[in-house]
Amino acid sequence: MSSDTTVELAVAQVLTCQEITVRFGGLVALDGVGFAARAGSITGLIGPNGAGKTTLFNVMTGVLEPTKGRVYYDGVDITSWAPHRRGRAGIARTFQRLELFIGLTVYDNLLAAWEASVRGGVVGRHSADGREVVQGVIEWLRLEDLAYRAAGGLSTGQGRLVELGRALCTNPRLLLLDEPSSGLDSRETDRFRDILLEVARDPNGPAVVLVEHDMGLVMDVCDHITVLDFGKAIAEGSPDEVRDNPAVVSAYLGAQEDGSGSTR
Amino acid sequence: MFPFIVVGLFTGAVYALAAMGLVLTYKTSGIFNFAYGAIAMICAFTFSELRDTLGLSQWYSLPIVLIVVAPVIGVAMERLFRPLTSVPAEIQIVVTLGVLAFFQALEPIIYGGQARALPSIFPTSTFRIGTLRVGYDELATLLLTIGLGLGLWLLLRRTKFGMATRAVVDNRDLSALAGVRSESVSRVAWVISCVFAGLVGILLSPGEGLDRYSLVLLVIYAFAPAVLGKLVSLPLAFLGGIVMGVVLSVLTKYDSNATVADIRLAFPYAALFVLLVAYGGRLKEVRSSFRPLRSPPPRPISGSSFVTGIVLLIAALILPSLVSGPQLSDVTLGVIFAAIGLTLVVLTGWAGQISLAQFSFVGIGAFTVGHLGGAHGAGFFPAALLGVLIAIPVGLLVGLPSLRLSGLYLALATMAFALLMDNLVFNRPDVGGGSTGMPIHRPRLGPWNFASTTSFYYLCLGVLVVYVIGASVLRRGPIGRRLQMINDSPLAASTFGVSLTLTKLITFAACGAAAAFAGALFAAGRQFMSPSDVSFNASLELLLLVVLGGRSLVGGALVAGAVFGVQLFPIPATVEQYIPLGVALGVIGVANNPEGPIAMTVRIVKYLSAVLQRAPRPGEVAPPAQQATPHRLVDEQPSVPTPAGARV
Repeated sequence: MSSDTTVELAVAQVLTCQEITVRFGGLVALDGVGFAARAGSITGLIGPNGAGKTTLFNVMTGVLEPTKGRVYYDGVDITSWAPHRRGRAGIARTFQRLELFIGLTVYDNLLAAWEASVRGGVVGRHSADGREVVQGVIEWLRLEDLAYRAAGGLSTGQGRLVELGRALCTNPRLLLLDEPSSGLDSRETDRFRDILLEVARDPNGPAVVLVEHDMGLVMDVCDHITVLDFGKAIAEGSPDEVRDNPAVVSAYLGAQEDGSGSTR
Repeated sequence: MFPFIVVGLFTGAVYALAAMGLVLTYKTSGIFNFAYGAIAMICAFTFSELRDTLGLSQWYSLPIVLIVVAPVIGVAMERLFRPLTSVPAEIQIVVTLGVLAFFQALEPIIYGGQARALPSIFPTSTFRIGTLRVGYDELATLLLTIGLGLGLWLLLRRTKFGMATRAVVDNRDLSALAGVRSESVSRVAWVISCVFAGLVGILLSPGEGLDRYSLVLLVIYAFAPAVLGKLVSLPLAFLGGIVMGVVLSVLTKYDSNATVADIRLAFPYAALFVLLVAYGGRLKEVRSSFRPLRSPPPRPISGSSFVTGIVLLIAALILPSLVSGPQLSDVTLGVIFAAIGLTLVVLTGWAGQISLAQFSFVGIGAFTVGHLGGAHGAGFFPAALLGVLIAIPVGLLVGLPSLRLSGLYLALATMAFALLMDNLVFNRPDVGGGSTGMPIHRPRLGPWNFASTTSFYYLCLGVLVVYVIGASVLRRGPIGRRLQMINDSPLAASTFGVSLTLTKLITFAACGAAAAFAGALFAAGRQFMSPSDVSFNASLELLLLVVLGGRSLVGGALVAGAVFGVQLFPIPATVEQYIPLGVALGVIGVANNPEGPIAMTVRIVKYLSAVLQRAPRPGEVAPPAQQATPHRLVDEQPSVPTPAGARV
């Protein structure tokens, strides 16, 4: 997205990143990247390893403050907001490396997230509502059999599903998914895709941002894709446009050899 | 001024030696050795026994200690910690503290527990440089330390072993693939470190006297120098040690001024605290994983634990008619110790914030009622509430480092805080009553007088019951979940809207306040309180006993209280001295089971009884498919009563 974003556009978009630059010492992890997530749609964020996807994620969630650039959420500048303030404002995420509350049951993972997202949740206000929300999400994601198991003992596939459920429990306006299909087998990925499409089709559902290596999944579900390479946004558009973009093809072919390593 | 600087160089050299020893093992195996001072102590005692008691020549005793005893300890330490290089920092800390307690418990059994004087190994005569009198022993110490420092530096920089060490420090697994035996590297590092510890003990004791506590505290002077080099730089650790010695020595010059004397006492701990907070997130844990400790999820209170609780309560209620008065007093102290332990279970076991300063809050409660409780206890409860109010801001202060530090560094910071409280607050005669302490009167509330042993027992029991029920209810509610969130994944907790700052600070303050109130009762139970009763050592004992019982279990605090109470009983000294040893060994056993040896034992008993119940009776054919049984220990499916409609 270009830098001359108008304010009206920024309001129509749930989240807008403008000219984000992040430097770690001499390393430029992100260089003037623009990005937008729109309500009711799934935006893909792809790129080779080390392209800056997770860094941009961390900027959106407030884990990292950008060296330069602004982040707008519903038209409000949230660049300097702490992560927990963004969480309360309706930004939820999943993690590339599972970050479950391993000392709680699956049910309590979801309930704890709900309690954290509502005012007064920690003193048990509206706790009946919370249990209803959690129960709904558990039934939706078919987690009933896992609900009273310790989250520490789950497989990666189950864990990813629980992380998604935990994020959905907070009734987010913006849902950030960091490589949700890594570690899933093809059956689990198919199920994940169905759930994701269901989330996106929900008129009251969140704007979804998907960082993902599984190109099949990305091309299937995303309405819009931004491609990062070496900290720059090199392409942007619909899946078809991106697929045919020569810059994207060369970035991916060039990165093929080291494509199996882990992403920062 | 100049003579003080020179003298400071000499003592600083010993701190430098200790700091290098600490850094060496942290670098190579990721273990910060809290037991360092205890190893120094046991080596110094062995040396004293050989030379001064058995009359062996110094030229035999010294090699026996430094070439046999210390290296053997080093090898044993390496073996003990080898499986612990990648466990959560909290376990490593607890196990090193267990080793510390082990040596402190061992000393009275082997060497009689009496303080001794240990003459220097060097001639103590002096010579003059200009106007300055220098002892040969001081000069020899300095030269020896510089020599050892240089030797170590050459070893690490110029030899194959040094190369291997640096490879292991950089990446243990990769260097193992390249053919470096990381165990041998660690073993050599541990041996050198323990030999240094032995020397530190032998060199420091002549000036300070030798007993099982003071060397442990004295070696803490070397912690700040070690942290100066972020626990990995040997040259900075050396430099820091020297600076520590010089600063302390120069401050002695103005010791007649009370403020300066306080500053001198507080400096080593204040420096440690300030360095830790200043470095903050830049301090990396070398090897320990960032994985939090996994504890079993809280479950609805089961029928059996409810029944156990009722049985315990009934037993506690009829106890006064079964035991004599003095014994009931000991039980009372155990009861209130359990309540104090429970505050640590919440803070450390549930919220994951390790604290070595919990008894400082006991001290706040204790000395507040000591001053304001009144001669007949009429002012006890108002004073205790005031103590609680004082504990809240102090709790916030202890909680501050937790915003930037976790694991090992948080443990070090809370330890520094506890020692600061000891030296700057409780040791003041107008606060803690000086070495003689102060009498504490039992409370009175309106028409109720708790002066009698029995009535006071019931009061403490009531408080414990309130604490236990309160904690159990909190654990299963939103607050318990909130604490578990910041323990398990601070990152995820904050992205879901939890303010880590607020949660940690409130937890520290609340646990501190609860400990202060229990502390007021603890003091009333003892009827007498002195600064040493609430010192860092007491905080340490509390942590060890809670870990022994089970750090994340309400029952763990009860076990801690029981063990504490039993120690007070009039049991034969020959038996009594083995209790701390048993506690220490139990804590070291945490290496194999983070939940604590007691919880482990309970599990094993449950497992065995399950197996026995399933065993076929004589004449009966064994049922097929018994494989299901062994799994239960590993993958226990909680049999939780399901909330209505939760499961289809």
